[in-house]
Amino acid sequence: MAPKKDAKAAPAKKAEPAKAAAPAPAPEPDVVAAPPALDLSKVKVEFTPDQHEDYKEAFGLFDRVGDSKVAYNQVADIMRALGQNPTNKEVRKVLGNPSDEDMAAKRLEFEAFLPMLQHIVNDPNKGTFDDYVEGLRVFDKEGNGTVMGAELRIVLGTLGEKMSEAEIDGLMQGQEDENGSINFEAFVKHIMSI
Amino acid sequence: MSEADKFLYRDGGKVANPLDQADWATKKLVWIPSETLGFVAGSVKEEKGEECVVELADTGKKVTVNKDDIQKMNPPKFSKVEDMAELTCLNEASVLHNLKDRYYSGLIYTYSGLFCVVINPYKYLPIYSENIIEMYKGKKRHEMPPHIYAITDTAYRSMMQDREDQSILCTGESGAGKTENTKKVIQYLAHVASSFKSKKDQVSTMARNHGELEKQLLQANPILEAFGNGKTVKNDNSSRFGKFIRINFDVNGYIVGANIETYLLEKSRAIRQAKDERAFHVFYYMLTGAGDKMRSELCLEDYNNYRFLTHGNVTIPGQQDRDLFVETMDAFNIMSIPEEERIGLLKIVSAVLQLGNMSFKKERNSDQASMPDDTAAQKVCHLLGMNVTDFTRAILSPRIKVGRDYVQKAQTQEQAEFAVEALAKASYERMFRWLVMRINKALDKTKRQGASFIGILDIAGFEIFELNSFEQLCINYTNEKLQQLFNHTMFVLEQEEYQREGIEWSFIDFGLDLQPCIDLIEKHASPPGVLALLDEECWFPKATDKSFVEKVVQEQGNNPKFQKPKKLKDSADFCIIHYAGKVDYKADEWLMKNMDPLNDNVASLLNQSTDKFVSELWKDVDRIVGLDKVAGMSDGGIHGAMKVRKGMFRTVGQLYKEQLSNLMTTLRNTNPNFVRCIIPNHEKKAGKLEPHLVLDQLRCNGVLEGIRICRQGFPNRIVFQEFRQRYEILTPSTIPKGFMDGKQACVLMIKALELDSNLFRIGQSKVFFRAGVLAHLEEERDIKITDIIISFQSWCRGYVARKAFTKRQQQLTAMKVIQRNCAAYLKLRNWQWWRLFTKVKPLLQVTRQEEEMQAREDELEKTKVRQQQTEEQLQEFEAKQQQLNAEKLALQEQLQAETELCAEAEEMRSKLATRKQELEEILHDLESRVEEEEERVTQLQTERKKMQTNITVDLKIYIFMVD
Repeated sequence: MAPKKDAKAAPAKKAEPAKAAAPAPAPEPDVVAAPPALDLSKVKVEFTPDQHEDYKEAFGLFDRVGDSKVAYNQVADIMRALGQNPTNKEVRKVLGNPSDEDMAAKRLEFEAFLPMLQHIVNDPNKGTFDDYVEGLRVFDKEGNGTVMGAELRIVLGTLGEKMSEAEIDGLMQGQEDENGSINFEAFVKHIMSI
Repeated sequence: MSEADKFLYRDGGKVANPLDQADWATKKLVWIPSETLGFVAGSVKEEKGEECVVELADTGKKVTVNKDDIQKMNPPKFSKVEDMAELTCLNEASVLHNLKDRYYSGLIYTYSGLFCVVINPYKYLPIYSENIIEMYKGKKRHEMPPHIYAITDTAYRSMMQDREDQSILCTGESGAGKTENTKKVIQYLAHVASSFKSKKDQVSTMARNHGELEKQLLQANPILEAFGNGKTVKNDNSSRFGKFIRINFDVNGYIVGANIETYLLEKSRAIRQAKDERAFHVFYYMLTGAGDKMRSELCLEDYNNYRFLTHGNVTIPGQQDRDLFVETMDAFNIMSIPEEERIGLLKIVSAVLQLGNMSFKKERNSDQASMPDDTAAQKVCHLLGMNVTDFTRAILSPRIKVGRDYVQKAQTQEQAEFAVEALAKASYERMFRWLVMRINKALDKTKRQGASFIGILDIAGFEIFELNSFEQLCINYTNEKLQQLFNHTMFVLEQEEYQREGIEWSFIDFGLDLQPCIDLIEKHASPPGVLALLDEECWFPKATDKSFVEKVVQEQGNNPKFQKPKKLKDSADFCIIHYAGKVDYKADEWLMKNMDPLNDNVASLLNQSTDKFVSELWKDVDRIVGLDKVAGMSDGGIHGAMKVRKGMFRTVGQLYKEQLSNLMTTLRNTNPNFVRCIIPNHEKKAGKLEPHLVLDQLRCNGVLEGIRICRQGFPNRIVFQEFRQRYEILTPSTIPKGFMDGKQACVLMIKALELDSNLFRIGQSKVFFRAGVLAHLEEERDIKITDIIISFQSWCRGYVARKAFTKRQQQLTAMKVIQRNCAAYLKLRNWQWWRLFTKVKPLLQVTRQEEEMQAREDELEKTKVRQQQTEEQLQEFEAKQQQLNAEKLALQEQLQAETELCAEAEEMRSKLATRKQELEEILHDLESRVEEEEERVTQLQTERKKMQTNITVDLKIYIFMVD
């Protein structure tokens, strides 16, 4: 019983500074996120105060430095966390098509993030369940509604906006049956459920 | 088997590497011409009017190319296709690329519509074993990877099924592998047609006959090769003649015989060879392999003593002439060609060599030739069975007919030399022809009627050198005819396919395209063709090669297939536009080559030779062009008045034309199968392919032409099912859910695709497309799939991100709980009561310990009691057991005693039984004695009675007496 208490205390100490840092103010609005192709100032932010609050909290969760900003290359994930499904290309577009170095180095504050999110929300990913099922059917060699997991990995990792191994692993966890194949209708349904 | 598979099947699955697919779709890859590589891949960056900026895929260099020079690249789905007719972008670049890709992967066979294209691998491939033959047996063409066996099997099966004669036409440059592939065809047929028998148990003698015939058929090749092949720069074993092998089958598909016809033997090889080349193999085999006896019989000398072996003994790496001599002689044995005929053949070969050693000199005072040393002539005469004096006279001053009289005409040195060379060539040729005849006789000994046949043509393809002569005209003429046959076949087949699919479309017969060129060569009159003019010219006394050219220009000058040399300086005399390209001809010596004159004096000497074999060879001397004709020409027509009667003999051109027309008639009555052999490089190197060399050949042998014709129609065909499966994605929600007929579905899909009605036709089972339409669909499909994939990937990323985010939120919540507890603890830890509590809490547990102890002790007590009870019980049981054991023992003893007692009683019983028996016997005895006794008693009693009566009588008597 006694050691249990110690274990409880230890992570608490670690967590403390993180919590303290989170609510720290973000005074300097230096990062300009105005891409030449897309005028974000024309985007009208229409979120409710509740949404605003939620988003802010989520945004805060991604700040790993403590300056109340997030790196450019985190923006896509935040938007996705908030229920959107933008392509990488679209995200880059709203970020003003930054270079790869800028994606890693530059940081964005919440106020600048909101219109970007709004833009994505206004023009959501229109792909439907049927589209994806038909798309995956192309790789269904036996015509029995399944694809091989290995094949799907190759497809997602080599075509289009190639996904990384880690992303694919996260995606495919527990989806393959004992033969290594995937029922793609169920798969698509599952992916689109959250 | 797997080793062979590598050389048969293309690697990877049917679905191309998605990476390549993506590359192709996004980069707009195309082919642009390259000086060294034929074509190189590049991606179109920019289009400016007529020109395009293309970035080379390999080097990244940017080049500007004219739009017309760009050739579309096929989608990677078509990589290494087995049939190039499936390629949707059918162009030179794609064909070359596909062949190259396959060749580098070890796949030497590729189909191109009706053609089977094969590239010489220049190394041994494990794809000709009997296992492989078994694999191909009875399979349809599309079921197996491309192979000469597949072609052969198709021919064999259709012969059996349709009862239609078949032909397999192998053409190609020298060294491309025509003869090798021909051999494979024969090997396959010999195997397949004989394995039939083993299944049906036929009479064994018949089977043996079959086996022998097949062996002989296979052995015909080494003999023909020894006499008809030689080493050239391009090919160590180059066939210097064309041949058509006809294998006859009976109704059951067994080989019943074969027949070989040869064409255009390059006889000049017997007397002269270019650098690094050899004469016919047989010369070297004979000189190396003959034993001492044979050497003296054949008057053989050293290689370097023969003028006709221009370069002495040229050897071929990895080939032992001595062994091959033995092999050839063995082959003669198998063909059952007897010893004397063999020697006869070799005598001719030796005589041909000796003829070269006859040397002539110009006499001092006149132009006349003389022969200072007649050793060689003597040897020739010895070998050929002639009189030396007659022979020498026939060479030096033959009798020539002038008007009605014969005169002796002295020959100049040149004339004599020419005559000897002509004689040597003619001898060799006649010997070769006789040999073929003899082989045919051996192969045709079965009397049974052949029902149908498969003909295999192995003949050189188009020859286009810088300057071309009469021989090239003949071979190109042949190829022009063969190509016409191909075009016509293709026309017929296409027509059939369209009809079968019920498609209205008039196919143009491209066979007709070649007719003008063929007319230009072979037409008899109005206007006469080149061959006719050449023949005509041969009859004119004053004619020369030059006058012949003038006449051709005059008669054919307007023929679109004919061209005069542009510049006067041009060394060519005229050009003919063959379908394979423009060919420059030089007419030097054509008249001579066409007449092929021979010293008829010598010919008649040979005709009367004491050697039967020689006179047999020269039995038809009246057909040759005699010296008078040549004399007429060279002397400027002094003897012009005396023409040889027409019809007496035939020119080379005429003979060949006739031979060819016979061949064409035969081929036209067969179902032809086309094999195109390609030489990849001129260095005899494996794994190397020179793009331009291959392109030239593809152009020459009609593969590209075939493709061009193909493109006029609807070259891409795809069955409904596949079309729907592959392209349904382009027309979402066009086809209602549930079952739908394939054709109907395709009609709907095509309607949705809004294709121009001229771009497609819908048949009974397939959709037909114009060239390139499928590539376009494929491109659209790729873009569509990529779009969907990107969109789906975004969803997937969203899914992954949200999953991660949810986890993060949960972590956050957990963290908050922990924090709250920690904060509470921090507040508490200095509060005295808490501290007291923490101190006391462990003590609280001590008091409870006693209770627990008590409980434990109670439990222990209970257990002890229970244990004791159990122990007592155990003891009890043990005692009981002991008691029972003792009882058991006692019982056992008792049992034992009883058993013994029983045994004793038994013994007694048996003793008693024997006793009883004995007693019974005694009783029996006694009874019988009693009986006996009783009998005696009765007997005695009767006796006594008798006695008594006697006594009484006696007594009475006595009494009486007494009385």
